[in-house]
Amino acid sequence: MNIALLAELYWTYVKIGFTSFGGISMIPVLSNEMLTHGWMNMQEINDIIAIAEMTPGPLGTNCASFVGTRIAGLMGCIIANLGVLTPTLTLTLISAFFLEKFKNSHILQNMMTGIRPAACALIAVTILSLSQENYMWNGSLSIPAVAVGVIDYVLLSVLKLPIPLTILISATMGLFLLR
Amino acid sequence: MGKERNKTSSYLHQHRWGEAVKLFLYFFRIGWYTFGGGWSIVAQIQHDFVEGKHTITDEELLDLTSIGRSLPGIMIANVALLFGFRTAGVAGAVLSLLGMSLPSIILLSLITVAYTSFRENAYVSYAMNGIRVCVVPIILCASKKLFLAALKGPFSYLILAAAFFLFYFAEMNGALVILAAGVVGLFYSSLQRRMKRSNT
Repeated sequence: MNIALLAELYWTYVKIGFTSFGGISMIPVLSNEMLTHGWMNMQEINDIIAIAEMTPGPLGTNCASFVGTRIAGLMGCIIANLGVLTPTLTLTLISAFFLEKFKNSHILQNMMTGIRPAACALIAVTILSLSQENYMWNGSLSIPAVAVGVIDYVLLSVLKLPIPLTILISATMGLFLLR
Repeated sequence: MGKERNKTSSYLHQHRWGEAVKLFLYFFRIGWYTFGGGWSIVAQIQHDFVEGKHTITDEELLDLTSIGRSLPGIMIANVALLFGFRTAGVAGAVLSLLGMSLPSIILLSLITVAYTSFRENAYVSYAMNGIRVCVVPIILCASKKLFLAALKGPFSYLILAAAFFLFYFAEMNGALVILAAGVVGLFYSSLQRRMKRSNT
């Protein structure tokens, strides 16, 4: 097993982890690193983003698994994932300690009065851009896609079906309606 | 006060393995069908732990999510770790993270091996179209309650509008928006307190 390659893989994903703040903000750094290392070409980068979107789990973990497995098999997959999760295992874990300690402090509570509505704005933007991506096909609104989306919403909020069952129903509708 | 401190220190020092293992199994289970990135996992947590088991409130979940979003790394990994820590200490944090990551690692390794045939299968892509269409309704259902918890009074609406503008139109970094909103919240609250004091 090539230790130097594994170390390089780990370090690359540590860098990607520390410079990204969630989801698609990771893509520029990621593609840059993959291209300079020659680990992926542009076509493969596009594919992995699509695969990451189509499969469960976050983009970062999915990409680390894909590249790690291709370069150094199972060991590579584990090493790359450890790399991309390093910020979480260090910085976020430390934050978790402080958060529990200062949970009832006025400063944190006061900051939260500003942070909560701002977080809502980010969610709204996420919903907006996801809608654009999932309901617009070739630049125009897809009626079947919107219809299935509305049915999904009714299943979830009115009939209160569990989320996995709704996804299964939606996938089945996709097979027949969203070709 | 003394009681409160005991409770806090138990968060820091006790490892509550039973709860931690339960969290691992929970995240490992939901990890298989949380399509559409981090927010759908938050939606799932909201559904199961805010409405189902009442182990955490809407406000607390939103706080953990905002903090997880503002720290570097994978957002949902941060949220899972913070949530696991809140519920079952360090063991809970690490096992939640592991449970959340494993499904995607297993699945992606398999897909990598079968990469070409997966890419070209038409039926896979039709089913995936259906799944993608379901992502927005899932997030909408969960965020409804998060919005209600966060938006109280004119100040919060002002922040919402400003943050939306900065993030969507000015394309400011999301973590910076969260941080700026925190600082504004801090100033606003102290200003409010000072005004109250001068009135009385």
